[in-house]
Amino acid sequence: MTTPDNWEQPTDLPLTTSCKQAARLVSISFERKLTWREYTTMRIHLMMCKTCTFYGRQIKALRAIFTRHEEVLNNTPCTCDEQLAADAKQRMKDIIQQHK
Amino acid sequence: MKSKINHNEYPKALSPAETWVDQHGDYLFRYAMMRLRNKDMAENMVQETFLAAIKGKRSFSGRSTERTWMVGILKHKVIDHYRKDFRERPVTDLQNLQRDEEQTVDQFYDAIENPRKYPKDWMPDQRAILQSKEFWVILHGCMEKLPKTTSSAFAMRELDDMDTSQICKELGITPTNLWVMLHRARLQLRECLERNWFEKK
Repeated sequence: MTTPDNWEQPTDLPLTTSCKQAARLVSISFERKLTWREYTTMRIHLMMCKTCTFYGRQIKALRAIFTRHEEVLNNTPCTCDEQLAADAKQRMKDIIQQHK
Repeated sequence: MKSKINHNEYPKALSPAETWVDQHGDYLFRYAMMRLRNKDMAENMVQETFLAAIKGKRSFSGRSTERTWMVGILKHKVIDHYRKDFRERPVTDLQNLQRDEEQTVDQFYDAIENPRKYPKDWMPDQRAILQSKEFWVILHGCMEKLPKTTSSAFAMRELDDMDTSQICKELGITPTNLWVMLHRARLQLRECLERNWFEKK
């Protein structure tokens, strides 16, 4: 089992990299620049593996979705459960009245 | 009394505090809900944000809108809360993290053996997603299922666009801890979204 400190380091030779290892590298590549060895390991695996390729595309899609999140928040009406309840609003108004 | 404030230098003044709840309450609440996933906690934070805004009225420079300024206050409160959560979590949490991640990853790869669960190509679907209210409800539901610390780290990364060093500094964790959490959050979210949204389309 890998220890936390070398979790992201590829332990297998490039051609035998497991999907498990490759998926970690894909995920990490969204956080930092991969080392040359990591990058090569990942690319070689991705050339042969549709699953990990799609996983990478899904992470990319997730990121794009979250990037747009604020915009969506600004432009769509709230659903009921995302609105402050009337009693909470009144309570806040009272408190603001006391403190302003 | 006549104000000596030069309005060119301070283009905007704050609106009266008694109008804040109606103007910004729902927006701030939504912002907090997305990150905290707890109604009482989110209400509380919004209330505290208004109180801090009253106290800090003078620090409003008018260089941003009133709402952006308040979101900034709220954002700090949310991060404080995450930090406290991380400080108070049991020590075993990080030890378990590794094991939990292994499990999540194993589930992912077990699923691959089953062709029906093969990861799908989400890309062409994105435009439709963003316009669908239903999608966001599902996304929020999927985020609620993440373990608390994982979802905090994920929210800082993807919602607040903070980088590894900022998040690690705030939460007192190592980069590897963070990357394990993010990887796990992604695997869980993609699985949940695929099952509840993409497979039904």
